[in-house]
Formats: sequence, C-alpha cells, structure tokens
Amino acid sequence: MLEIRWHSRAGQGAVTGAKGLADVVSTTGKHVQAFAFYGSAKRGAAMTAYNRVDDKVVMNHEKYMRPDYVLVIDPALVYIADITANEKESTIYIVTTHLSTEELIASQPKLEGKKVHTIDCIKIAQETIGRPIPNTPMLGALMKISEMYDIEFFKESMVKVLKKLPQKIIDANMIAIQRAYDEVK
Amino acid sequence: MEKKGWDGFEIGAMLRSFDGAARDIATTLPENRPYSQSNLFKASVADWRIEKPLFNKDYCIDCQFCWIYCPDMSIIARDKKMVGIDFDHCKGCGICVEVCPTNPKSLLMFPEQKDEEQALAGWPKKEKNAKAEEPKED
Amino acid sequence: MADTMELLDIEVWDGNMAASQALRQVQVDVVAAYPITPSTPIVENYANFEANGYVDGEFVMVESEHAAMSGCIGAAAAGGRVATATSSQGFALMVETLYSASGMRLPIILNVVNRALGAPLNVNGDHSDMYLGRDSGWIQFDAYCPQNAYDLNFIAFKVAEDHDIRLPAMVHQDGFMTSHTAQGVATLTDEAAYNFVGEFKPMNDMLDLDHPVTHGVQTEEDWHFEHKARQQHALMTAVIPKIEEAFDAFEKLTGRRYNLVEAYDMEDADVAVICMGTSVETAREVAEEMRAQGIKAGVVGIRVFRPWPLEQLAAVLKNVKAIAALDRSSPHGTVGTLFNEIAGTLYNSETKAVLTNYIYGLGGRDLTKAHLVSIYGDLKANMDAGKPTTPLQQYIGLRGPKLSFF
Repeated sequence: MLEIRWHSRAGQGAVTGAKGLADVVSTTGKHVQAFAFYGSAKRGAAMTAYNRVDDKVVMNHEKYMRPDYVLVIDPALVYIADITANEKESTIYIVTTHLSTEELIASQPKLEGKKVHTIDCIKIAQETIGRPIPNTPMLGALMKISEMYDIEFFKESMVKVLKKLPQKIIDANMIAIQRAYDEVK
Repeated sequence: MEKKGWDGFEIGAMLRSFDGAARDIATTLPENRPYSQSNLFKASVADWRIEKPLFNKDYCIDCQFCWIYCPDMSIIARDKKMVGIDFDHCKGCGICVEVCPTNPKSLLMFPEQKDEEQALAGWPKKEKNAKAEEPKED
Repeated sequence: MADTMELLDIEVWDGNMAASQALRQVQVDVVAAYPITPSTPIVENYANFEANGYVDGEFVMVESEHAAMSGCIGAAAAGGRVATATSSQGFALMVETLYSASGMRLPIILNVVNRALGAPLNVNGDHSDMYLGRDSGWIQFDAYCPQNAYDLNFIAFKVAEDHDIRLPAMVHQDGFMTSHTAQGVATLTDEAAYNFVGEFKPMNDMLDLDHPVTHGVQTEEDWHFEHKARQQHALMTAVIPKIEEAFDAFEKLTGRRYNLVEAYDMEDADVAVICMGTSVETAREVAEEMRAQGIKAGVVGIRVFRPWPLEQLAAVLKNVKAIAALDRSSPHGTVGTLFNEIAGTLYNSETKAVLTNYIYGLGGRDLTKAHLVSIYGDLKANMDAGKPTTPLQQYIGLRGPKLSFF
C-alpha cells in the first residue's frame, strides 16, 4: 500500500491532481483510491487530498493516513498547515517553494532531518500553463522522486486523462510535468 | 362498492374509470360507457335529496343554463335539447331552478315524494310583469 | 436515439459519477432534481449527459426536494422510468412524498448520498438520512464503495420496475467517503447495462389513454389498512426473492456477487461487527488483522436494509458468540437501529450471542482501524465472559469523557 497526502488550497487542483494520478495508476492494473477533505470550504481555504495505491482492492476507508509521500502544492501551507501530521520515519516531502531545500528547512525547522525535496511548481505552472495551478507539475516531481513510472509513459497517460482540455493546454501541461521532473531537487 | 380484502384489489391506491378499454369516450353517451364499479358514476346520491327538481318541457327554451350550472352533471341533454334529470346523481341543490330564465320556470323544486303528473298539472301560470304595474314616481 | 459512450473496462470514478453513469446507461426518462451536497454531482453529471445527447430523457429543474420527488411521482404515474438523487436536509424535505411514492407503488429510483442531519448543519457523511427513510415503504440498498453504487443502481431498477414488485427503491452511498472518493469501477458496456435492466414496461400508466386511471386516491378507515397491508405483503414476500434473482443474474453478467446480507469471514467467526456503508470494507481489513492475532473475527454488512433480511441475517449469525452493532446515526433516546434490528432478529432464535451497540462517525467523523481494533477487543472480552463487559451502548471516536448508556 502506497499512501500520498496532498496539501493544497481549494481551487489549486489537488483533487484533480489526486484523481489524475489515480487515473494513470489505474491503467497499469493497480487499485487506487483518491479522496479529499472538503467541509464547507471556499476557494483559497487550506485542504488536503489523498491517494491510496495497492495491488489489491483498496477497502480501507478511514481518513486517517500515515503517508509515504506528502505533496505540498502551495508554498505558504508549509507554515500554516500541519504538513507533518501522522508522518512516518520514511515519509518523503515534496514542497512547492521558491526557496532551496536548505532555505526551506531553515524557515520551517520541523522539516529538519526529514526527506525533503523542493520544486517551484507555482512558477513552472505560471510559465507554462499561464495560471498558478501547480497540480500537474507536482506529479512530474513525484515521478522523479518516487520512480513510480517512466516519465514518457506517465506523460502519455496524462494526455489521455486531460483529453477533454484544449490541445494547447494539454501541451503546456506536458511541458510543466517535464520541467518539474527535471528541476525537482 | 364491495369491501374487498387486502389481496382483492389492484395495487397502488389506483382506480380505473372504465372496465376494459375505452376508446372515443367523448363521443360515447354516459349510459353507454363501460364505467367501472369504482367509478363515482356508479354511486347513487339520490338519498341525499330532500327536494327534487321537476322539469316541464312546455316552457323550456333549451337555453342549456341548467346543463351548464348543474354541479353534478345531472341535467340530461341530447342534441342540445333538455330531456330530463339524472336522479341517481342529482343532490337536489336547486341551482338549475335558480338559473332557469323562463316564465314560468321550466324547472321547479318539489318534495321528494311529489307525484310528477300532479306537479305538472298544478304548474304555476305565467307571472305578469310586476314592474310594469308599479306606478311611476315622477 | 441517444449516443453511446465508450468506457474503459476500469474507470476511476467516485460514487457520484458511478451512479450518474448507471442512470445514463439505463436511459431514465425523467429526472426531476434539486441540488444538495454531496449528491449534487449525480444529477449535475446526468444533466450534462442529457445536454450532450447521451440520454433521450427529460431533466426537470424544480424548486425543492419536495418538488423533485413530486415531479418524479407524476412522471412515474404517467408511465416513465424515473430517478433522482438527494441527501440529508433535502431527503428530510422529501419524506412526505416518499410515502406517496411507495403507497402509489411507483418504481422510482432515489440515489441517497448519506449525510448528517442538522442542527448543527454538516455536509459530511453519516446514516441519519438513511435511517429516516426506513419506514417509508421503499426498498433500501446500501453501497460500500463506488463499484457498489454503480452495480446496485442496475439491481434497483430491475427489482423496482418488475410488475410483481412495483415499489420504489433507494440506493444509498456514504457522503464523501463513497460519493467523492474515486476508485476503480469495473464498467458494463451501454448495451449490456441497458439489456440487464431491460426496456421499461409501464403499468397502470396515466398516458395509456384507452385505460384511464386515477392515481393517489383517498381512503379512510374503510380501505387504508388493506392498502398498507398489501404494500407490506409485497415488501415482505415478493421483494427478497426478486432481489436474489437479480443478484444471481448480475453475477452471471459481471462475476460480481451481491447478497442480502454480506458475510465476510463468518464461517467460523466467534465475534462479529455488523455495520453499513464504507465501514464494512474498513472492518474487513481489520478483521483480517484480528485473525492474524488469533481472534476469529468476522464482518457482516447489511446490503438490503429494507426489507430487513431477518432470516438471512439469523442464519449468518447462527454460531457467533459476541456481536457489535455499529450505528452511524444518533438514536436520540434509545439504542441504535441496527442494535434493535439485530436484537429482534435473534430474540426467538437459538443464538444467544452477547450483543452491544456502538455509535460512531456522526457528521463524517473518521472511523479508524484503531477504533475497530478496540471494538473487537471488547467483543473478545464479552465472548470470554459470556455477558457484556461494557455498557450496552458506547460512543467511539468522541472527544471528552467516555460516553455510554445502559
């Protein structure tokens, strides 16, 4: 069982990201689950989304999770959300930030000694897609760090997931995924 | 209507208007329609009446007012001619008599037990115009 | 003619999309709906399918849930395949009309995405609304995951519309935990799905102009009792065999097996948790873990809540020694509904298991595996003692001092 927790703001695409990842993983024969905590949240409110991946049907519906990966797609959530909640020793963090990994850890001491990677998904999204929607670039970074799938296979699969969008937007997303894959540290 | 047991009727608090198929019902006279037992047409309300309307065709001008106003569709008319009253469904409300415009009225209320022939024999005569006889004031 | 939609063998759908797709595949004639979280996407997706030519039916936007069900009743009496969806407060507003639908024997399918009832207002999942509907004369199916929400819709249409049944049916799924949780759903082709349910066959429909009918008549003490008895007779005798028939046919078509009472690891179980919704699946994982620790643990899921599968449940519980009934609804003044139902099921049987009640998960509060482990621990102690070692009704996952009754 692989478990992933996303920290996002409502509207940044964490649910779409978690769902997109589930779509891709599902095509490889694995069983998936993607869900989120909503409440009566408005756009901009801090929220979390979740993925579970397993070789057998995922029957666990508890919201409690000890994540293998924590994906933070909004830079400020490192400071205001409890991103280390229910962590394990092996939990890997991938954080969107303009800071270097060292600078990030210095600014948020509770990440000290943990497996932390950084990538500026916001900047990549703005430069490629033209909007600060950091979900797809985060998936590129996850592919690099987790080595879950070959990046070319992943991009091909994501094209199918995004097939209802205009071609221009799909192309921009592919560039964003590749850039995040190349740039994550 | 027969009080059937719980397994003796169709489901769903649903009632049929007619037994079997009923095509072109609008052009079929009520007495020829296959009304079902649960249709209210089959229920008589004759015993609700204390007074009954009787019809005198000698004065009727077939204006159809009674047919239009009757709340129980108990005026029987054929080819736009008044032919009588459906005493199974008439409740004796007297509206037909109220709206009858002839002089004397072609419909009058009588006690339920009144003999029709007697009633027709004693039908009131034409009233003189009371207004015409009033002295003019100026 | 509606367009067909090419689906993957496995689609990653949340419970709402699964229900919407089922409604599309059976080609519902009329959906009259009013939005409410978390059921909104079901009818929203359906309206989208309809607008894009994937459905030939009508989508009627109404001003309330009361009007939504009233519209469904009208359309069903007129002689169409009819469905809608709702949750929580909307379901509560529908209640008056639910009794009309079942009393008029109209096979409407209502997808209920279970959600708490306020006050305090809460959009998350619990079973308060499902329990509110339990005396309404509807058949109630319960889904534990998006796959179930998809499959049970087909079963529901097939059973409800059968001329021996003619009763409305609800398909329940847990708000957010199923409705907004995307999981793999094995799909049917449009053709296979439609053929499984079959063409809608009207009965006593108002649009049959050669056979005029009056629907929704008034009866007083002279007829009312007989009508209600007739309705109960259908629910108690015709529905369960028809559901089993539909479950068999569905298994032949898909390989997926459903049962009135879902029994997991129950063949030799000493202790059992009985619950509904997503909790059933979580409990199955915990039961496996308990077995690894030497406790013969089982799980029983109620798949058909109404009509209550009394005989089937009694058979499943025959040899069990301690049972926990888990209710995801505040019973407000008594024991939980499942506790009551199970007690009634077992009272005149040979089974003398220790039965206790847990209230959990109100307003979407998480039911964790740790909670379930502690429940199985209680059950083991009850079995060993041969009597309850805890109060009969306990609250789990609640903050503050421990709360329990009886």
